[in-house]
Amino acid sequence: MALPDDLTLTVNGREHRLRAAPQTPLLYLLRNDLALNGPKYGCGLGECGACTVLVDGRVARSCVLPTRVALGRRVTTLEGLGDRQQPSAVQQAFIEAQAAQCGYCINGMIIAVTALLEQDPDPSETTIKRALRHQLCRCGAHVEIIQAARRAAEIARARRIEVHEADPLDARSPSL
Amino acid sequence: MSELPANEEVRYGAVVRPPRFRLEEGRFESDQPVNVDASALDSLPGSYQVVERGAFIGVVADTPDRARIAAQRLVIEWSAAPPPPPACAEPCAKGETDYAWPNRMRFGPSAGWVVADARAGRVRLWAPSQTSTALREDIARLLGRPIDQIELHQALDDGLGRTGADDAAADAALLSAAAGAPVAVWLDRSYAADGDRLGPGQRIALSDTLTDGNLSGLEARLHLAGDAAPALALLLAGLSAADPMPRQPLSIPYTALDWKIEAPDRPGYRLPGLGAAQLAFARESYLDELAHRLGQDPVALRLAALEDPRGQALIEAVAARAGWSTRRRRSEHPEVSHGRGFAYGEEGPAGDPKRARAAWIADVEVNRITGDIALTRLVLGQESGERLDQEQLRAELQRQLIERTSPLLANSGDAQEWGEGEEPRRGPLSIEHITLAPISDQTLSTSLGSAGLRALDAGTLAPSVAVISNALFDATGVRLREPPFSPERVRAALAEYAPTASAGARALPGGIPGARTRPWRKKRWLAASMLPLAGAAAALWPFKPAIAPIQRPPADLYSAATLERGRLVAEVGDCAVCHTAPGGETNAGGHAFETPFGTLYSTNLTPDEETGIGSWSFAAFERAMRHGVGRDGRQLYPAFPYTAYAKLSDTDMQALYAYLMSRPAVSATPPENQLRAPFNFRPLLAGWNALFHDPTPFQPDPTKSAQYNRGAYLVEGPGHCSACHTPRNLLGAERGAEARFSGAIVDGWEAPALNGLSSAPVPWTEADLYAYLREGSSPHHGAAGGPMAPVVAGLAELPEEDVRAIAHYVAALSGPLAATVEDAASAAAERIQAAGLATPLPDEGGRSFERACAACHESTLPGPTSAQISLALNTNVSSARPDNLIQTMLDGVHAEGMIDSALMPSFRDSLSDAQIAAIARYVRARYAPDQPAWQDLDERIGELRDAGADWAPRR
Repeated sequence: MALPDDLTLTVNGREHRLRAAPQTPLLYLLRNDLALNGPKYGCGLGECGACTVLVDGRVARSCVLPTRVALGRRVTTLEGLGDRQQPSAVQQAFIEAQAAQCGYCINGMIIAVTALLEQDPDPSETTIKRALRHQLCRCGAHVEIIQAARRAAEIARARRIEVHEADPLDARSPSL
Repeated sequence: MSELPANEEVRYGAVVRPPRFRLEEGRFESDQPVNVDASALDSLPGSYQVVERGAFIGVVADTPDRARIAAQRLVIEWSAAPPPPPACAEPCAKGETDYAWPNRMRFGPSAGWVVADARAGRVRLWAPSQTSTALREDIARLLGRPIDQIELHQALDDGLGRTGADDAAADAALLSAAAGAPVAVWLDRSYAADGDRLGPGQRIALSDTLTDGNLSGLEARLHLAGDAAPALALLLAGLSAADPMPRQPLSIPYTALDWKIEAPDRPGYRLPGLGAAQLAFARESYLDELAHRLGQDPVALRLAALEDPRGQALIEAVAARAGWSTRRRRSEHPEVSHGRGFAYGEEGPAGDPKRARAAWIADVEVNRITGDIALTRLVLGQESGERLDQEQLRAELQRQLIERTSPLLANSGDAQEWGEGEEPRRGPLSIEHITLAPISDQTLSTSLGSAGLRALDAGTLAPSVAVISNALFDATGVRLREPPFSPERVRAALAEYAPTASAGARALPGGIPGARTRPWRKKRWLAASMLPLAGAAAALWPFKPAIAPIQRPPADLYSAATLERGRLVAEVGDCAVCHTAPGGETNAGGHAFETPFGTLYSTNLTPDEETGIGSWSFAAFERAMRHGVGRDGRQLYPAFPYTAYAKLSDTDMQALYAYLMSRPAVSATPPENQLRAPFNFRPLLAGWNALFHDPTPFQPDPTKSAQYNRGAYLVEGPGHCSACHTPRNLLGAERGAEARFSGAIVDGWEAPALNGLSSAPVPWTEADLYAYLREGSSPHHGAAGGPMAPVVAGLAELPEEDVRAIAHYVAALSGPLAATVEDAASAAAERIQAAGLATPLPDEGGRSFERACAACHESTLPGPTSAQISLALNTNVSSARPDNLIQTMLDGVHAEGMIDSALMPSFRDSLSDAQIAAIARYVRARYAPDQPAWQDLDERIGELRDAGADWAPRR
């Protein structure tokens, strides 16, 4: 069998050098080697979405994604979106809407909504439901989760305006 | 500023050359366009500009592919150029020997983008030109700008002549000026073809006068313009080149001889030193030939012809240092020959104390199968009149020589070549340098330091071409009378010289003494003509002799270029896919194959002398590859596709052998084959071979394009595509005629039809085939999986052109009515829409699909893999057989090494047979509503699950 290789992985803007076989699922390296426990191990088959991360801004189920696919790309986990002091718009919205019951699926929900708002900054409820269709929640917190997604769009919009008024020359949008 | 223009500004150009053009005696003649119809471009996406200037036609587009496709779609009516004058009989006059010097030395240092920006006041060019002054002059003429406004970046300026880089730069400049944007043009071997069509830039005919059997006079007749032709765009646009510089008097050593030089009444050269280089090459080659003809020593012959004592002293010093003798060293490797050559040159006015003299002795090693030439030792004597820093000179010489000899010896590429020209072999090269003491102190200031090295550039380096040619002749007995001496030209010359050379090393043991006489050649012909008869009888005889074992060849026997070539042959031949057991060491064998005749295990291909092929000579290896007979004489089973490998060229075969022998040896013995009687009796296979095996090498179809033939070679030979994609008869032989490439089942996987019988839901186009083979998925078909995934991973190592050639040939297999890109796009859109309308009511299969599959296959958010390409376009879903869909669900897609990220987890342990069947039924009904439901699902799932996962990831 192939011996582990030296891999260079970019996670949340930082480069990490890891010794692992390139086919190791990305989730294992994130949780076990980098102690990034935002993404959860759920089904292990890419079905439930608890392990979702962003790879170059695209939603990826890290429990079935061989790490080699993420090499040379930007990986973003829940931890990379924001923190306690400065939560991202989506994280802030999920807190405000109290959208978590047991919380196991919430990582995937927040990541998926983040990707959705990149694609559509003002999604309808149908669009939100379609995007979250394959993020499973067994507690039945769907009503709050959808509310959180709508709230996230509002917060993101408000933050963009704030920045724009504060510094009209800086048109860059802040992180969602 | 030398920064390249920003990426978003750059547009891409492609040119269309006239069907016929040539340069005769400095006069350019070409077909002329009568009508250029660009209406076909209206239906293509993007914006296009068609540029016409005389016979120059090009297209500028947004992307490289669009430019290339648009250039192909232009409909151009050409008027014929006047017929060529009758060719000069060969040789032009009795007793003369013709030497030629090409207009272009190869297409360039390597393939790449050449960019021109002619928007603003200054014209900026990024091109690896080796003749920058001439290029800048050409561009100034072409665009009507003053020469000081032409800026050239990335120029190399160190070759022996012009390359296609100048032609590409002129194309880009003309397109850029017309399009008002920076334009990039791809420089590759197609520019070498343009150079070939221009023909030689100079021909020199030499003849001699003998007195009492000794050389007493030489006559040289110079034909043609002598200079390297201006950039092709200039010629095509009907513009004249800049006026050449006044001709320098040609300096001639060997004053003891009567000299007659006849040159056309034309002005001289724009490329300094070119005339001297051309004449020195012809003269020094001719003297070498003459010495062999007269049975004299080449060095002694020159010493006698010189009157200049300093020149004689220099030659004697060099000969002594090199240990010159005519006795040849024998190589212990039958395919490698050693040779040694001598050449001498002078530069500067006769009688001038500054006159430079140089004497060269070079040792080369030539591999007669691969054509690799390695320069192994060089003794260079120079009279520079200088006490130069020896170490600095040595370093500079080494650098210059390596750069100089690269274009001389490197590949220029043809249909049988791999990649964009190869670096020549660089063995350990020893350079010894001798300078004579200065004549007097006055000469000290003439050429010190860099100026002294500059003097090397022109005349003094001129003998470097002849010295290699002479050494090559000494090694092989073939005389190349036109540079460059690329491996493929050496191979071609050797093949012409000895027609039995296809038998490889065996036909040419050691040196080839006496090979330079005609009677020998006749005998060889006779022997060759008897071979087929003997061969037919031998093929039927079922007991083959063993070939004596050898010691494993040393690792440094082959050049890096040959090993790299071998690696590519191994990749396209997918040796490791079959010769590696799941989880085992690469190429150590033991992969099991279930056949209708029993179970076969692949063998150990590593160079282990006990259990692998380490003790196999090249002859044994070649016999196995072409005739299916092992080293020990045992017949091999045709599960090993020697039926395809027989088509390999000699050079690829040798390179593959070299590569495999250079791999790490692994001691491993595969399990015994489990075959039923009578199939376990190997001698029967001799009859099988007589019935079904055609060992003739690949023959290109002269009516087809080079790309088609390259594709055919790769597909039919090393790629052995038909081994899986052609059904086999009851005896396990591939069926012919219409059945060829009509699809087959191999190891529980369906290899779909590649001919007109393809059941793909959307017709395949050349562009889709290219995307699928290059990246692993096509937007109109989805991803490669199963045993095709490692094939695509192997192809990822190949140069782009080879993958394009394969796509071109496979597209041609489906007949002349190949679909267009637009047809495919609209058919795909229709399929996807139909699948949307056909959504069946959710049943158990639908629910399982929703849970297990839809997260990736139906996601509305973009993901990192190709899973979102609709299943409605997937051939596996539309096929008459469910095998590939079942296999994919059981074991997933593990496309390691592919550019695209096609991947899918295995559901073997999480879905029951019943769930897999329900999902398959649902997928079929939803995504292939026009196809009948599969009947034997449950049974096939059980069988395939039991067969197990054989095509595990290999890295």
